[in-house]
Amino acid sequence: MKLRFPALMMLVIIFISMLAACGDASTLTPQATQGQSTTAPAATATEAPATGSTDATAEPTAAATTDTGSTSSDGKVFLTVSDQQQSTWVRNFNPFASDNRWPTAAGIYEPMFIYNIATGKIEPWLATEWAWNSDNTELTFTIRDGVKWSDGEAFSSKDVAYTLNLMKDNEKLQGNGRAAMRFIDTVTADGNKVVVKFKEVSTIALYDIGHQMIVPEHIWSKIADPVTFTNETPIATGPFTEIIRFQDQIWELGKNPNYWQAGKPYIDGIRQPAYPSNDAANLATINGENDLASNFIPDVEKTYVAKDPENNHYWFPPVNAPVMLLLNTTKAPFNDPNVRKAISMGFDRQQITEIATYSYNSPSDATGLPESFADWKNPEAVAAGDWVKFDVEKANAMLDAAGLTRGPDGIRVLPDGKPMTYDINVVSGWTDWVTTDEIIAESLKEIGINATTRTYDFSAWFDKVQKGEFDMSIGWSNNAPTPLQFYRGLMSGETADTPIGEANGDNWHRYGNPKVDELYSQFVKTSDPAEQKKIMNEIQMIFVQEAPAIPIMPNIYWGEYNTKRFTNFPNEENPYVLLSSFAQPDRLILLTNIKPK
Amino acid sequence: MQATPEKTLVSKSSETTKTARPWLARWPLLRAFLRNRKAMLGVSILFFFIMVALLAPWIAPGNPKKMESRAHLAPAWIADTPAPGGKTFLLGTTGQGQDVFRQLVWGARLSLSVGLSVGIASTIVGTIIGLTAGYLGGWVDDILSLLTNVMLIIPGMPLLVILAAFLKPGPVTVVMVLTLTGWAWPARVMRSQVLSLRAKDFIAASVVSGERTPRILFSEVLPNMSSVFVGSMVGSTVYAIGADVGLAFLGLTNVGTTSWGTMLYWAQNNAGILTGAWWTFVPTGICIALCAFALTMLNYALDEITNPRLRAEKETTHGKRNRGNVLVTPVIRK
Amino acid sequence: MRFLLRRLGFYAVAAWVSLTVNFYLPRLMPGDPASAIFARFQGKLRPEEIDSLRKAYGLSDAPLLEQYGTYLKSLSRGEFGISINFFPAPVTTVISTGFMWTILLAGLATVISFFLGNVLGIIGAWRRNGILDSVAPPLLTFIGAFPYFFLAMIALYFLAFQAGWFPLRHAYSDALSVNWGSLTFIKSVVSHMILPAGCIVLASIGGWMLGMRNTMVGILSEDYITMAQAKGLSQKRIMFSYAARNALLPNVTSFGMALGFVLSGSLLTEIIFAYPGLGYLLLQAVRNLDYPLMQGLFLMITFAVLGANLLVDILYVWLDPRTRR
Repeated sequence: MKLRFPALMMLVIIFISMLAACGDASTLTPQATQGQSTTAPAATATEAPATGSTDATAEPTAAATTDTGSTSSDGKVFLTVSDQQQSTWVRNFNPFASDNRWPTAAGIYEPMFIYNIATGKIEPWLATEWAWNSDNTELTFTIRDGVKWSDGEAFSSKDVAYTLNLMKDNEKLQGNGRAAMRFIDTVTADGNKVVVKFKEVSTIALYDIGHQMIVPEHIWSKIADPVTFTNETPIATGPFTEIIRFQDQIWELGKNPNYWQAGKPYIDGIRQPAYPSNDAANLATINGENDLASNFIPDVEKTYVAKDPENNHYWFPPVNAPVMLLLNTTKAPFNDPNVRKAISMGFDRQQITEIATYSYNSPSDATGLPESFADWKNPEAVAAGDWVKFDVEKANAMLDAAGLTRGPDGIRVLPDGKPMTYDINVVSGWTDWVTTDEIIAESLKEIGINATTRTYDFSAWFDKVQKGEFDMSIGWSNNAPTPLQFYRGLMSGETADTPIGEANGDNWHRYGNPKVDELYSQFVKTSDPAEQKKIMNEIQMIFVQEAPAIPIMPNIYWGEYNTKRFTNFPNEENPYVLLSSFAQPDRLILLTNIKPK
Repeated sequence: MQATPEKTLVSKSSETTKTARPWLARWPLLRAFLRNRKAMLGVSILFFFIMVALLAPWIAPGNPKKMESRAHLAPAWIADTPAPGGKTFLLGTTGQGQDVFRQLVWGARLSLSVGLSVGIASTIVGTIIGLTAGYLGGWVDDILSLLTNVMLIIPGMPLLVILAAFLKPGPVTVVMVLTLTGWAWPARVMRSQVLSLRAKDFIAASVVSGERTPRILFSEVLPNMSSVFVGSMVGSTVYAIGADVGLAFLGLTNVGTTSWGTMLYWAQNNAGILTGAWWTFVPTGICIALCAFALTMLNYALDEITNPRLRAEKETTHGKRNRGNVLVTPVIRK
Repeated sequence: MRFLLRRLGFYAVAAWVSLTVNFYLPRLMPGDPASAIFARFQGKLRPEEIDSLRKAYGLSDAPLLEQYGTYLKSLSRGEFGISINFFPAPVTTVISTGFMWTILLAGLATVISFFLGNVLGIIGAWRRNGILDSVAPPLLTFIGAFPYFFLAMIALYFLAFQAGWFPLRHAYSDALSVNWGSLTFIKSVVSHMILPAGCIVLASIGGWMLGMRNTMVGILSEDYITMAQAKGLSQKRIMFSYAARNALLPNVTSFGMALGFVLSGSLLTEIIFAYPGLGYLLLQAVRNLDYPLMQGLFLMITFAVLGANLLVDILYVWLDPRTRR
């Protein structure tokens, strides 16, 4: 009789245990559920039909809050946001930490300028202008007048120089400026100017420096160890600096009394409840509890907009760097550009966007550049890239021509007799990726390649992809203010020779092209836009000819908003900034423009 | 935990029953089994699913992963609009346009075979460890029991998740991982069973007559533990089916294959609940529950049969008794 | 007392084994925490920043054995280190945000399930073949056979989201702050707990009930029960003081073990119901290879389970005088 215990108990247990885990699969990453990876396998059941009837929680108070969502007890209007995913909040507003609450870099601290992804323009912020000297060895920022820290002290160029020097001298500090530090010689403050001297020219470092969050010298110079400092009550220049409430389940931030943009922000504050998974967040969003969310919502018209067409809106601009199919170019036959192109022609991108991303985006062209880089795009390269069109016949012909003949079972065989049987690696739980993988794997069977979807937990997937221990894998690509980092990450000769088994930061498929390296160094040495565009055209052409990696579709910046309580959200008609939380520090522009109704 | 008095399940018992068929009479346990309603219920459900799994190519011919039609098409019997091309989908289609019914049928193969493999493997491992510990006693027993009890008491979840996450995903990995985490319970049950058996006269007799240890173990001890063995196996199988579904649901198995677990994974991934496509997960959930239910019923039946008190009660209580009136049943004492 | 001492020894060994497994297992896995963190920014951080992250986290390249020594030493001083995922928050800070809620949810649900299941089992055995005895066991077994996440998701979706009878998430209303002295707060906690705890209870109660029922059936046929009947003791007294007390023994030992299982199990519930416990933290720690946090959580969970088992042992000694030798 004891036996039964085992049975049941174990069932429950283990079950559970596993399950437990499931939840998480979802998001492994608080901040970055980024565009693409949408999602969460997590377990939750979310939604569907209707009942718009919100809530009614069993308990009166709770009901009240949910209902009124963003109004706090004293009648102030708070914007409820769904951004980071955590089950409980840890109080940390240190801008130099890799984990902090999201307003740290998008509401509390501010950078010198903001590259606005939606408009492609640079908006001056704490600096009013900046300029390179003639040989691009010196970058001078002019600092804005009249800015005050939230404790009333005046902000000055000294704070900027202090921040940059702090980062330069302490390698353990994280931040947007980190990538630029190795090029910098000195940073000095002079009146309202900050001068950055370079020991090695890199004009793209401008963006890294300009996006660095600036901290007050009078506070941080007294901090013993800025690396482990959790900065529970931040002093900053941003629109929301007062921590009104910080509990394990929710936090609320109020306005900065000394904010430099007169009259802004229009809203009284922001709050975020803890949502541990995408599903939990979506449930709340659909229930009307979130005013602003940046989660992937499946079939959004039906599940979200239809609930309240008046107020529920979304804007999913597909302008992020594309999802790629990576082929390990150190292995035959993936070292042959024609094989890579044939594989690319073997699946239907249209079908992928319809099924995997609910037609939220459209297929990439052969340059891989999303629409946000429309100005950079080389029309000739786009035209030359016919290998993104779905064409099974031609793909088969190209593979035949490459000497890959079909075996008796219809699977192609390499010259050395090995059948073309591969796994396509993907991260478990990143649903759109997994579905994409599944469609590609099924489609490739038609061209004689026996491919199978292989999901790995994130860390394992990332380890394999970085070390080049894969045949085929779905992966992301770099996104930055210029397309340069995108191409460099896919074709840099510097990283192509990293042996299999050693980790590469990007260029996981290990393709190298000396011509690209040369063009790269030309690009970073010039600050002339026309010259840069010309170089970029050439790089695109190389990419299209070589197909080092296969772009599938651009990533999407997710964003949903509810206009019941607030207005002036950006959307397709008025795309002044992105809604997505992944676009930081763009969110400063968003938060200072939303208005209460 | 060691203090738990484990009951002796061996019944060298006085089976005083009418002999219906001669061959059955020689197998009293089997006879009792066939007459037990719970057992029959469990066996029928299980048999049904096993047949479905075996006959999959005839019941639902075709590749279960083939994307046949539009995403999330409602089952044929409730759909307002017919599927394009005049196809009918008994249980609708998944978010990728695959036939749910076909997947359900084919999924039974993998789910049941993983469940049964783990059930058998972990029971065998558990039996070897339990037998060794129980029979040899002394320091061997001390170490093995300690190991078993530690395995039982440590929360297994992190272990399972970590192992599954970092080994190459696939059915074989799942079987290995689940066996690794699932042997402790059978081992414990087996050990206590052996301990009580060792005290029996017939074992003592074998020892005295100079038989070698392995021989005693295999020809004397093991046959007397068959019901415990089967019970452990059934229990482990239930555990394995559930755990396999859970791992698959987390995406920690190879989701390129079709099993009930991966079906739930895809239903969740394609937002089955969110979009109201209940047919992508409800039938799967019910199938899993039915299998686990059937196995659990089998185990209960086994208990009733091998535990004379429970059985006697069943056989002799017909009609109303006075509440509190205690039934006197033949009790076998050690 | 010897019994308890032996148990203590056993717990010490179990704790050490789990500490060690917990130390080595994650380190044998591929990948390292810095790249896992780096990865969450998906191309937003430059590869240059990985090095910087590694330095900040102070990841050590020392031989594992040496690291193991350091680890044991700092543990003995009660230092759990700094979480990598939540850097630079100390592990203790991170864990303290959710520990109480997990213990509350898992503990309460297990106790309720144990209590209810045993009472149902006692009644079932007492009124054998009555309505309760014939309907409840198969029904509860069937419900318990569903994949656990299935039950929780469906409950959340239909009862909380569609019907709106229960809160969708969290352990108490967002409008309140933690204050165990306030009735409103306690009411809020209770209403938020009904659904998650209910799911755990529903899934596990069947096992308790059947276990208890079958043991009771056995015990009711013992001579001493017949004796008690003959002496003319009240039915209630026989049922509870004679039969149930003895039947409870095997279930009590299972209870300690079940607690560990339920604790792991409640972690899932927490995630589905967005309950602010340790469940999601553990998953995050595993996924991001946050060794210090993983170790801290694992340690807390294991110690909670071992502690509960010790309590059960003490209870056992109290229930079964034979162990007092």
